[in-house]
Amino acid sequence: MIHLQLPAVLAALLAGIGVYGVLARRNAVLILIGVELILNAANLLLVTAGSRPGVPFAAGPVLTLFVITIAAAEITVALAVVLVLFRTTGAIDLTAVPDLTDEPEPAPAPGLEPAPHPAPELDLRGEVRS
Amino acid sequence: MTTRDIVFAAVGAITALSALLSVTTKHVVHSALWLLVSLGTLAGCYLVLGQELVGLVQLLVYVGAIVVLVLFALMLTRAPIGPHAEIDTPAWQRVVGAVLGAATTVLLAALLLPLFSGVTVDLDGGAPGGTPAIAQAVFGTWVWPFELLSVLLLVALIGAFAVSRLVLRREDESSAARSEVRP
Amino acid sequence: MSWIVRMIVVLPALAALAGLLARRQRLLAAGIAIGTSAYVAVLAFIQWVAPARTADIESIGHLSTGSLQVPLHLLSDRLSGLVALVVAVVVLAIQVFTAWYLRDDPRYGQFAATVSLFASGMLLLVQASDLVLILVGWEIMGWCSWLLIGHDSERPEARRAAYKAFVVTRVADIGMVVGLVALAVRAGSTDLITVLTASGHDTALTVGLVGVIIGVAGKSGLIPFHDWLPDAMEGPTPASALIHAATMVAAGSYVIARLFSLYASHDGARTLLAVLASATMVYAALLAFAQTDLKRMLAYSTLSQIAIMLSALAAAPRDIGFAPAMSHLVGHAFFKALLFLGAGWLSVLAGATALAALRGRLHGRGALRWSMALGLAALAGVPPLIGFFTKDTVIDAALEGATSGGGARAWLVVIALFVTVVLTAAYCARAWLLLDTPLATTEPRAGTDDLAMSAHPTTAVHPTTTEPVAEEEIAVVTAADTADDAEVERVHAHGHAPITLAAALSVAVLAATTVFGTLLLTSLSGAIHVGLFTALLSVLLVVGAAYAVWTLSDRGRRDVADRVPGHVRDAAVRGFGADTAYVGVGRAVTAVARLVVALDRDVVDAYPRATVVAARGLGQAGERSHRGVPSLSLLALLAGVVVIAVLGVTAWR
Repeated sequence: MIHLQLPAVLAALLAGIGVYGVLARRNAVLILIGVELILNAANLLLVTAGSRPGVPFAAGPVLTLFVITIAAAEITVALAVVLVLFRTTGAIDLTAVPDLTDEPEPAPAPGLEPAPHPAPELDLRGEVRS
Repeated sequence: MTTRDIVFAAVGAITALSALLSVTTKHVVHSALWLLVSLGTLAGCYLVLGQELVGLVQLLVYVGAIVVLVLFALMLTRAPIGPHAEIDTPAWQRVVGAVLGAATTVLLAALLLPLFSGVTVDLDGGAPGGTPAIAQAVFGTWVWPFELLSVLLLVALIGAFAVSRLVLRREDESSAARSEVRP
Repeated sequence: MSWIVRMIVVLPALAALAGLLARRQRLLAAGIAIGTSAYVAVLAFIQWVAPARTADIESIGHLSTGSLQVPLHLLSDRLSGLVALVVAVVVLAIQVFTAWYLRDDPRYGQFAATVSLFASGMLLLVQASDLVLILVGWEIMGWCSWLLIGHDSERPEARRAAYKAFVVTRVADIGMVVGLVALAVRAGSTDLITVLTASGHDTALTVGLVGVIIGVAGKSGLIPFHDWLPDAMEGPTPASALIHAATMVAAGSYVIARLFSLYASHDGARTLLAVLASATMVYAALLAFAQTDLKRMLAYSTLSQIAIMLSALAAAPRDIGFAPAMSHLVGHAFFKALLFLGAGWLSVLAGATALAALRGRLHGRGALRWSMALGLAALAGVPPLIGFFTKDTVIDAALEGATSGGGARAWLVVIALFVTVVLTAAYCARAWLLLDTPLATTEPRAGTDDLAMSAHPTTAVHPTTTEPVAEEEIAVVTAADTADDAEVERVHAHGHAPITLAAALSVAVLAATTVFGTLLLTSLSGAIHVGLFTALLSVLLVVGAAYAVWTLSDRGRRDVADRVPGHVRDAAVRGFGADTAYVGVGRAVTAVARLVVALDRDVVDAYPRATVVAARGLGQAGERSHRGVPSLSLLALLAGVVVIAVLGVTAWR
């Protein structure tokens, strides 16, 4: 015998803590920790709901397993992106504006000259300006 | 209150507490370690709920793989050892975050408690969906989503690889351009 | 016989094409041009002898344009036969002469082909029985004139003159197109006969007739469009002969003659034509008197003579019709072609076209001297040359119009004609005296030299002339007669060459037609009608003017135009600033165009551009928000999610 209100309350708590974790951290990896907490809240809720009598196809535990797998995939890609961000900008501080554009860097590396023939740009009067 | 209720409450309290600690601690590495505790005890929660397979997979994948990955990522991004005040957002953002988190909790609780009020499950005679049932469902009803998931994992693997290669190649080009400029 | 009419138009065009293809082979190109011209002249002669007298000759078939009838017919009658014959003969003479004149020009092939195409355009216009075909011929001539005038395209003056001719005539052609369209709309057809017989729609008729007059004023060089013609002297002399003698400038009077029955019933349009023609003939004759360049003098005389033809159309009474004008067209074609070819011959001998450099050059030149004498005498109207008959026919017709109720319009024309007779005789006499008086007899030059040099102390002495007599003359002109430079360059580059027999023969044929061409005119009824009184009066005037010039010029020893005050003469040589006025008009039009462009770009386009700017601004704002602080974005996102969830829950409850 178990009352299913208890795991429901725990799931709500974990989700709230995860939201706080996402918003209170500036380190990208730690934000991912908050995301993981929210995912686990969802997992717990799935298991809890699946424990109710009369759920067909063992949907609760199976979907939980699927979500765990998806979470593994997600965290892999997310951490790869974080590492790239760190390598490109030298920091993973999400309160700063990261330069994620592919445009030429505003301060080019020393010795790197601008391209000799920039592509002609079409301005609004239709005149080709190079 | 049954015995299972008490056990679940105890394990759940540890889970919630360690989760709270992992989002509030000033030590970067501690945060990951508290996450480890939280996810481990959550596996315990699954056991209490009678889902042994889910609990074991939770231990294997989350505790065994994901937290290790997080720790690796922290090391690779040169996370500072020891207490560090700079890992948190400004105070007002944290206040807003706390309000939003509390709101989420209240909202979910207000939604879920009526749904589950008075619902009890008798787990002493074995869970309704035991491991054999799960195995049957996974390889029967859910076999196509299962296969798709394996493809998803493969895509994620290649995607992570490609993301890192992409940037590496750009760096190669810029260094090559630099060497061209300086003959 | 209708195939002859078509062939007369098509053959020169084909010759132009073939000549272009064969332009590298000089002999072949010349053979094609001259052979085709000769064949066309024969065909034109046959057609003149036995015109088909029909206006229903199919050309390329009927154009289906809905309610407007465009039959594209050709016609053949006495008038078209006569004018086509004259055109063909003059073109043949010019082609033969050109083969010698441009003997060393590397682009002779193109020139000959362009002349052929030009002839095709004129013959199409002459034989067109359709307003559309008239316009086609008109435009072909406009384009070819641009090519011919700009033949020496390496010289900036030639390029400028070509563009000036093209732009000025194009501006006037706006009137021509509008006029022809108005006439076609009025008749519901472009067929000439239908247009002439249509009735009603007075406004459309007025617009049509005035528009055609404006177009004719452009091509025929009436005031205020006159100034392109003297500048067109930048072209080679055969091109000038072609444009001036029988084709382009005379085409206007032919078009008005074809529409004469409409003009005869419309006093307003004829008054406009009379005023323009009278002003032009007197003004151009005055300017011709002052010119220092032989070719420019001939150009101004062309302006004057064309105005005489048009004045005949403006003043002649309805029953006399267009015959006097066409008769003068024919006469003018012969003697002006003779004069231009003679001037080209002379300029090759002298290496210049400035009158100062040509002084006395005719003396002892035999055939050339006789040819020029005949040409100038015909221009002045000395009996029994063709110029005398045609001019006095015009005067007689105008006087007839004045006495039979033509009113002030006809009297204005009559007075202008008599003034022009005097002036024409004067400048012809001056030219003859300058060209023919041997230099040896002009001895004490000190007085005139001092006069001219003190009048223009700052102008530079022409660098290419070595004769001392020439200096003061050419010093007067710096820019106005650069056509002289072209001839100088040509002769300096290639040296003198003796004229070929064929070229001399072509000049001689033209001289013969100047004498006996009157016989041709007898084929056209009313073409020769000389009143005794007017003939006597004009002969007296001619003799008097010539005698006055002879006396004033000290029996040919000095230039009578030197008696004109220096600054007036200088201005006259430059055409009294008409060119500056054209440039001013051009600048004003350009300024208006710039204004319109600016309005279009900065006012009308501002709205589309504003949408672009707004879209771009939105995009940049979106980009900025995307590139904002990630943690704040997360905050906003989650806050939004919670708000929506709260709303959803409360609504669901």
